[in-house]
Amino acid sequence: MSDYLLSLLIFVPLAGALLALLWPARRVQDLRVLTTAICGLEVLLSLFVYFGFDKSSAGYQFRETVDWITLSLGGLGTVSVDYALAVDGISLPLVLLAAVVMLVGAISSWHITKRQRAYFSLYLLLSGTVLGCFLAQDFFLFYLFFEFMLLPMYFLIGLWGGPRREYAAIKFFVYTFLGSLLILIVMIGLYLSAINPVETAQAVGLLGLGDAPNAGVILQIQQALAQGFIEPGQLVHTFRFEYLADAANYLPGAWLNPASGIFLGDTPVRIWAFWLLFAGFAVKLPVVPVHTWLPDAHVEAPTAISVVLAGILLKIGGYGFIRIVDGFFPQEAFFSSVPLALLAMISIVYGGFNALAQSDLKKMIAYSSVSHMGFVLLGIAAFTAEGINGAIYQMVSHGVLSAMLFLLAGVLSDRTHDRQIEHYRGLIGPMPRYTVLTGVAFFASLGLPGFSGFVGELFTLMGAFRADQIPAWIPALSTLGIMLAAAYFLWTLQRMFFGGFWYSNSAEVPALTDLTRREIGLLMALAVLTLLLGLFPNLLFSMSGPTVQGWFEGMG
Amino acid sequence: MPATDLPISALLLLVMPLLAAIGLGVTGRRAGNAAGWIAAAITLAGLLLSISLFSQNEISLFHYDWAKLGTYTLRLSLRLDYLGGLMLLLVHFVALLVQIYSIAYMRTDAARVRYFAFIQLFIFSMLGIVMAGSLLMMYVFWELVGLSSYLLIGFWYHKPRAAWAAKKAFILNRIGDAAFLTGILLLLHYTGTTDFSVLPADLSSFPYQQTGPVTLSVDEWLLTAIGLLLFGGCIGKSAQFPLSAWLPDAMEGPTPVSALIHAATMVAAGIFLLARIAFLLTPTAQLVIAVIGTITMLHGAWKAMYEWDIKRLLAYSTISQLGLMVLAVGIGSWQVAMFHLFTHAFFKAGLFLSAGSVIHALSPHDVKARFDPQDMRNMGGLRTVMPWTFICYVICAAALAGIPLFSGFLSKDAIFAMAFVRAAEAGSFWYLFPIVAVLAAGLTAFYMVRQVWLIFMGKARFARVAGIHPHESPALMWGPMAVLAAGSLFFWFSVNPLDGFSGWFLNGMEYAPLAHATWVPLLSVIVTGIFLGLVFRRARRYGGFFRPSRLERISDRNSPWRIPLRRINPYADHNEATQHQTFFLIFFQKVANFCAGFERNIIDSLVNIVARLTVVLAHMIRWTDRHITDGGVKLIVGTARGAGQVVRLFQNGKIQSYFLVTFVSVLLLLLWLTLIN
Repeated sequence: MSDYLLSLLIFVPLAGALLALLWPARRVQDLRVLTTAICGLEVLLSLFVYFGFDKSSAGYQFRETVDWITLSLGGLGTVSVDYALAVDGISLPLVLLAAVVMLVGAISSWHITKRQRAYFSLYLLLSGTVLGCFLAQDFFLFYLFFEFMLLPMYFLIGLWGGPRREYAAIKFFVYTFLGSLLILIVMIGLYLSAINPVETAQAVGLLGLGDAPNAGVILQIQQALAQGFIEPGQLVHTFRFEYLADAANYLPGAWLNPASGIFLGDTPVRIWAFWLLFAGFAVKLPVVPVHTWLPDAHVEAPTAISVVLAGILLKIGGYGFIRIVDGFFPQEAFFSSVPLALLAMISIVYGGFNALAQSDLKKMIAYSSVSHMGFVLLGIAAFTAEGINGAIYQMVSHGVLSAMLFLLAGVLSDRTHDRQIEHYRGLIGPMPRYTVLTGVAFFASLGLPGFSGFVGELFTLMGAFRADQIPAWIPALSTLGIMLAAAYFLWTLQRMFFGGFWYSNSAEVPALTDLTRREIGLLMALAVLTLLLGLFPNLLFSMSGPTVQGWFEGMG
Repeated sequence: MPATDLPISALLLLVMPLLAAIGLGVTGRRAGNAAGWIAAAITLAGLLLSISLFSQNEISLFHYDWAKLGTYTLRLSLRLDYLGGLMLLLVHFVALLVQIYSIAYMRTDAARVRYFAFIQLFIFSMLGIVMAGSLLMMYVFWELVGLSSYLLIGFWYHKPRAAWAAKKAFILNRIGDAAFLTGILLLLHYTGTTDFSVLPADLSSFPYQQTGPVTLSVDEWLLTAIGLLLFGGCIGKSAQFPLSAWLPDAMEGPTPVSALIHAATMVAAGIFLLARIAFLLTPTAQLVIAVIGTITMLHGAWKAMYEWDIKRLLAYSTISQLGLMVLAVGIGSWQVAMFHLFTHAFFKAGLFLSAGSVIHALSPHDVKARFDPQDMRNMGGLRTVMPWTFICYVICAAALAGIPLFSGFLSKDAIFAMAFVRAAEAGSFWYLFPIVAVLAAGLTAFYMVRQVWLIFMGKARFARVAGIHPHESPALMWGPMAVLAAGSLFFWFSVNPLDGFSGWFLNGMEYAPLAHATWVPLLSVIVTGIFLGLVFRRARRYGGFFRPSRLERISDRNSPWRIPLRRINPYADHNEATQHQTFFLIFFQKVANFCAGFERNIIDSLVNIVARLTVVLAHMIRWTDRHITDGGVKLIVGTARGAGQVVRLFQNGKIQSYFLVTFVSVLLLLLWLTLIN
């Protein structure tokens, strides 16, 4: 089974989506059980991957490669798209996170009653495409999943959301769609510039079709490529990550060849490409100033979708950044450290201040997400082992914590449909368990040592301080973010939960009941997870550490 | 001293209170009255254990590889040395007495199990700070102490002011902690470690050259900056200017908590931190620290002179004493700062517990009675009703005021002496510090006599309210008070009542100053005597302390003197009503509102304008299409429209069909791509 484990991770939910669509209308109540079961199966499958994963190795594991599309364009060479999947220490933590958060989202979708078939089918489709994004090793495949994710998300917000759902859904769609167009441009540029050395060797006849590729042949092809000995018609262009990451596979004189040094205006083309890719992923992350879709989308989205959106979708931005931007443009990323770190600092501080000014609980949490994801960018910008590992850690940590925070906000909106902070006081009276768990989530999010939030912030900041190219005042000012986090979380805690009990809409007071067993179970599971990660950060670093190390060694 | 492995029993010191906190937290209210006794027993075991460990007078280490990133490993470690050993004894001793006292004090509180759980959590975190082997480890426990302080200040969370004060304390502490963390990370970057056992050696590899006191190299500035950033942590925790405002408000917590956390231990953590990092403080950093300490000392003493709330007065006095300790570090004598920390812990904890006894006695049985048991204007004449409390209070107050034969005199005097020694070395400007410190000590004598007078002397002013029958507290309460008062006598610390330098404490620190100013005790006795004379004169004449003095009239909120001041700074009068809106937080609020406005009015409206312009553009293109382009184009448009009609069939408002169409078309596309292979 382990040969197809990663494919199963993608296709089990996709098959589930189809099944949900064809589900008989009479039994529609059982769909939530089906969805939860499938998501539970996904967690099991991802655990199989985790336990089968060799942590000491830096390379890709569980590879699955199938030639998918091969189009000969005559003199222009050959288009080659592979169905290639694999995991390494960078993607495995995020795969695990995605599986867990999807399960949490599925369980918190149980009270959905409107158009269940469509909802659960879209939800499972989303689940499959998200995992596809983290597992794909071919840019084309990645892009396919990346784009396809927008569709279910658009409908999930636009049909099951709050009062302004249509505005939010369109805004989300347009923002991320524009972002992915920028990525598409660079993807085509990369595709035109690089070849697949193995398949090219087969095309020129150096390698038989069934032969295993060996390093000597690949070197031979790369040298022939550099000297221009290969006919254009024999070149096999590729989207594969591993080939795009190696400068030796680039055509001499191609636009994005690091050695060719082609300029567009006063700026090298590769710098243009870098910033286009950055802009594309920055929308997803999100980075100030292209973040404004996030608060709207969160406020309007139903609870489960908020959980998935903050818990996983944002992480695809960070993952794409590490895998694609840093992977294919390491030089450019290193030399752009300062502007990136500056943007990260602005996101951290600006997001924090905005969170402080919000009166809607969900919006406050959404802005805290902007601030916390700024630390991810800070770690990536640092371009040091601490920074990149810290960024991956912070993504997982924020995934768990934001899932918890949005579940908590959902508890309140389920009961009263009112999330205005100043409409409540002294919630600890009627809802003591809810208050305790909110307190845990808030303190974990504001970076209390012992919980995961602290580790993520510590290592991204440490990475940024260690990066010699970044002036120390940037990470120093970023520590304002941890101060602001204390301010907005504790202020909310004081205003909503402490003091004598009062609720502006006195008719709804009986609706304010304490947590149900299902809610406690979900929240406790997430709380234990963030505590475990916070106490034993090696749980994650043992996966990501060697891979990042190998990555830096590979770059020299 | 050889480094040996930390004995496993030392780990018990941390494990026991943590397990106690978790255990008490899980059992909830079922533990009832037993909770206090269990907690006190655990702390007693800890005290005995730390006594047995104290005899092993050497540094011991314990390592744990917390995070491995490829080749880089972040290591956490614990250590135990003479300095830490002293703190262990102090924390356990005060915590034990406070918990015994609390058994009686909190007897009627329904949530007393939670109270003891929080206290044990605090002890765990505080011991962590004391035993931390590196600055990073210290930061971890530093934050946990902040958490337990938050939980205990806000213990009576149904009181809005308690919840507010808890939040304020945490946030103001966080401001200092952000600087602290920055300092730690900078140090980590430049030296690769924050471990106390290797840091002093590593510092020699630091890019720092001694270039003399006149010209400073850039690298020395860097070290100065790191030292001052680390000092930021102390500014927060030890309530130094300008982050001191949280400590008086922290008095909203239960009084024994104030004694333990906000007088004896937690607020001393900042001084302990400075003692740990004293070796890396440059002369410039020391000067800044001395100035901050002096400002804090004066500010606290000044506020204490006009305070009516019994606990807030003690809080201001704590701020003032902490300022004195910081000043001692600033003049380069962290050992005397630790000495004062030690003596202060006893008499200040004793004062708070005695104040708690007074409040306990005056609390009306009827909760709704409009009577503030903490307002000293409602007290008076209690010396006959509460003799034990009176005696303990007077002894501890005398120690705080720096009267000879009490411990406070020894430690304060050591600080003055060292300040004069430093001034003699460093030049005329430095004389300001000891002179101001001696004067502030005079103010201390003034406000403590005022407080004792208002509480215990004169006529009883509470009699006008029905249902108040003050009584002496039970032995479970006055016992700990008496122990702390006894600990405030001189002979525990030095045989010579006028010379702290000959005592075991400073000798144990291997601290033997070369120069020694023998006239300093005389000077401080004279100054204190003058202030005592002033305060007694004021107590007996001019209608006691109730008639406002000339200075008070000037500083009165409504006096005409204040009007121009108010115009310059509208937040100058931060009274209770406006306090939470002002003082630092107002600034954040303003920036936050500005950011929210920017978001709404600039970024988002820009996005909406772009969206609108796109629609307008689309309409213009449609118009051009219809009226200008030729028939061929019209044909194409017509075709597209026809296709649109077909597509519209699917747009029947059902998401299933939208979705099915998209799904099927993507499948068809993939099928096509696969088939043309």
